Amino acid sequence: MATETPDVPADSEEQAWWGGESSVSRIRGVAFEYTTLFATLFGILMVAILLIYVSVDAIEPFTADPVWHLTFFGLFVVPSVTTWVVLGRVNPTARTVGSNTFGMILGGLFVAAGLVIVIVKTYGSIAWFAVSISVAIGAAAFYGYLQKRPRMNIIEQAAVFVALAILTVTGIPAIEPLGTPELLSPIWAFILVAPFIPLEWTALAVTLGPLAGAIAARRVGSDREIETPWTVVLGAVVAGSLAAGAIAATLGWNAEAAVVIFVTIAVPIGIYLDGVRTHDPSAIVGLVFPAVVIGGLVAAIVTTETLGFARPDAWLDWGFLTSVHSRTAEDAGIYPALVGSVLMILVIAASAFPVGVGAAIYLEEYAPNSGWLGQLVRLIKINIGNLAGVPSVVYGMLGLALIIRFIGLPLGTVIVGGFTIGLLILPIVIISAQEAIRAVPDSMRQASYGMGATRWQTTRNVVLPQAMPGILTGTILALGRAIGETAPLILIGAATTIYRPPGGIFSKFSAMPKQIHSWVVNYPQADFRYGVMAAGVVTLLVVLLGMNAAAIIIRNKYQRNQ
Amino acid sequence: MAHEPMEPSESDTDSATETLISPSPGSEALDAGRLATDAGTTEPVIQARDVSVYYNDDRALNSVTMDIPKNRVTAMVGPSGCGKSTFLRCINRMNDLIDAARVEGELLFEGKNVYDDDVDPVVLRRRIGMVFQAPNPFPKSIYDNVAYGPKIQGDTRNLDERVERALKGAALWDEVKDQLDSSGLDLSGGQQQRLCIARAIAVDPDVILMDEPASALDPVATSKIEDLIADLAEEYTVVIVTHNMQQAARISDKTAVFLTGGNLAEFDDTAKIFENPENQEVEDYITGKFG
Ligand SMILES: Nc1ncnc2c1ncn2[C@@H]1O[C@H](COP(=O)(O)OP(=O)(O)OP(=O)(O)O)[C@@H](O)[C@H]1O
Ligand SMILES: [Mg+2]
Repeated sequence: MATETPDVPADSEEQAWWGGESSVSRIRGVAFEYTTLFATLFGILMVAILLIYVSVDAIEPFTADPVWHLTFFGLFVVPSVTTWVVLGRVNPTARTVGSNTFGMILGGLFVAAGLVIVIVKTYGSIAWFAVSISVAIGAAAFYGYLQKRPRMNIIEQAAVFVALAILTVTGIPAIEPLGTPELLSPIWAFILVAPFIPLEWTALAVTLGPLAGAIAARRVGSDREIETPWTVVLGAVVAGSLAAGAIAATLGWNAEAAVVIFVTIAVPIGIYLDGVRTHDPSAIVGLVFPAVVIGGLVAAIVTTETLGFARPDAWLDWGFLTSVHSRTAEDAGIYPALVGSVLMILVIAASAFPVGVGAAIYLEEYAPNSGWLGQLVRLIKINIGNLAGVPSVVYGMLGLALIIRFIGLPLGTVIVGGFTIGLLILPIVIISAQEAIRAVPDSMRQASYGMGATRWQTTRNVVLPQAMPGILTGTILALGRAIGETAPLILIGAATTIYRPPGGIFSKFSAMPKQIHSWVVNYPQADFRYGVMAAGVVTLLVVLLGMNAAAIIIRNKYQRNQ
Repeated sequence: MAHEPMEPSESDTDSATETLISPSPGSEALDAGRLATDAGTTEPVIQARDVSVYYNDDRALNSVTMDIPKNRVTAMVGPSGCGKSTFLRCINRMNDLIDAARVEGELLFEGKNVYDDDVDPVVLRRRIGMVFQAPNPFPKSIYDNVAYGPKIQGDTRNLDERVERALKGAALWDEVKDQLDSSGLDLSGGQQQRLCIARAIAVDPDVILMDEPASALDPVATSKIEDLIADLAEEYTVVIVTHNMQQAARISDKTAVFLTGGNLAEFDDTAKIFENPENQEVEDYITGKFG
């Protein structure tokens, strides 16, 4: 055994205590270090090669005029990189502010795309408006009731809650198999037929505006150094979203998109920069970074377009993202499958997250540890781990048997796909949530119980806030896995190709991986097999990488706060 | 559920009457020790009657009987593993959180057995607060740490004032009044422990249990905590576990010495325990010959 202790054998008296024997173990250590480094790099390298490969297929950069590349390099890449490097030398905090702002623009675009797809394109701003107003009425009524009867028990609370939910959101719908008629329309159905329905963009602005304003006001309110009163923040955000819509409408742009972008990009960045200005005003210069990047991009595009340099003949372009499938490769698009995937992710998140976190809370905080019940709980915990390893095709069977045959939801709809894949990722959500909850030190719980908190109060106020970043990270990674699943979709009868995006979660749909699969399998032309498929893969990967980036950002933020 | 805040004036008269009724034996015999002359002269607020605690089948506490006087500092000393923390956790039923733990005997708080079926441990813990060995502030702001108790009890009237009062009571206000919004974890160890004390007194309990509150602190921080404990005893009943004999002698009115096997060897006025213990083993332990 080679150790680094100084007990040198008697016959090697010349040998100094600071060198010698231990170098053998050091070499082993170095060898081990480099082996692990290689293993890490190998994985990353393979993924990078794959990414470059499909990206080249999807974008076909070599079809562009070399001058086009030069222009982009000179006007976009060089200034951006230079600004980045110089800012880092001069004022590192400013560079952080700059890159955060840029990241918020990208992230905001991502969220905006999701909101436009779900609210504007799928359900329509007016329906969203009606439901929002009706939920707000319900919430206000519930809150008012709570104020009036502060000491009501949990059963009464639940009853009131359910009653209000039926009144405002679900109504009592007709159940077709039983032949019952619709007994009660929810409030939003009446709003929809009201004579004073607002314009679409106004409907968006008066719902998203206050929502974003409330979140912003909360952020500002929690920072005591910012003195702007919360009412001003709320008012500014609402007024701003109305103004954004009005300006876009008068200019003939898409006013709904303008409202959404204002809410998802302008508001967060405004709040962030307000904080920066209060805490470290000199860091505001960092804004030159996003300015140079965006300015460079615009300049490069304008230059190449006006001078007529040929740009790459990419498969992945705006047309690909926004058009439906076609038999000619040039016209084929992924839009319906993209919408299908987005809606499905919403269903998955809405079903797997609460159930998974609830299960994890029960298992970690409430479940008995001893006695035969404790044994049962231990068995369940072990088997959740096993469930995480069950092949996805088996979950597809489960979805077919349970959700379609037994419960009777219609074949191939978004909700069935969402529930099935939700079941698939449920074990992963449970396990990561359990881990996050277990990582909360016991001393925190003891402190809380010691002050006379109930178990629920401790869970709600101490355990969950500390575990939430971990839970969210795990869930987002699980959702990343969910978005790429294909096998269960085949079993639950998702369409191979649809020509119209799903109109809601009860419509038939196709998802991106399914569509990509179909391009490879059903279309022998090389253009489909390489170009269109590659464009689809890159779209899928960008969505996935975006989600992973969100997970990483949440984790980093959490680590900074500790 | 809410409890009536104790009237300090009332308890003062109480203790005066008690003095007349039951003068403590031997209290006038000694001159050493803080408050030796009136130690043990108030009514007991906590009474243990043959309390034994088992972890699974191992006995950690063996038939302990003692009366803890109101508005006094009671210290518990003894070798490691003798059951001091176990006894402390019995008082506010924190042992309920340990599945393996089982308590026998009676533990009366204001005359009511806290292990009766109709006692809600949550309500009990609102009146008997606890400070732990290692400082354990929540990863929230200083303000939110102190406001936690009032908030969970649904009583947020004059919250700012109560937070200020609790922080002053824990001798921390002057050091943190300009940074109430910074994280409680950014404080030094000693400050964190005082923050935990502030958090415990913010809900205005009757009794504060402290399990080696100064064992992780340097001498300066320790002496601050000791001064604080002396002040706290004017309003609260303090029960403190410590490994530091000098500390026990300095700050407590009554001392309980536990010896191995969970036995309470001796319980008396601090001065008596340190000057003239009856039990030979206790004397050996205190003078450092054993333990
Ligand atoms: N959660 C537990 N589960 C099982 N046994 C326990 C548990 N807590 C304590 N014990 C046992 O009970 C006995 C008394 O422990 P306790 O923590 O009360 O001692 P202590 O006097 O506080 O010691 P120290 O001075 O080291 O803190 C010990 O033998 C210990 O092993
Ligand atoms: Mg202990």
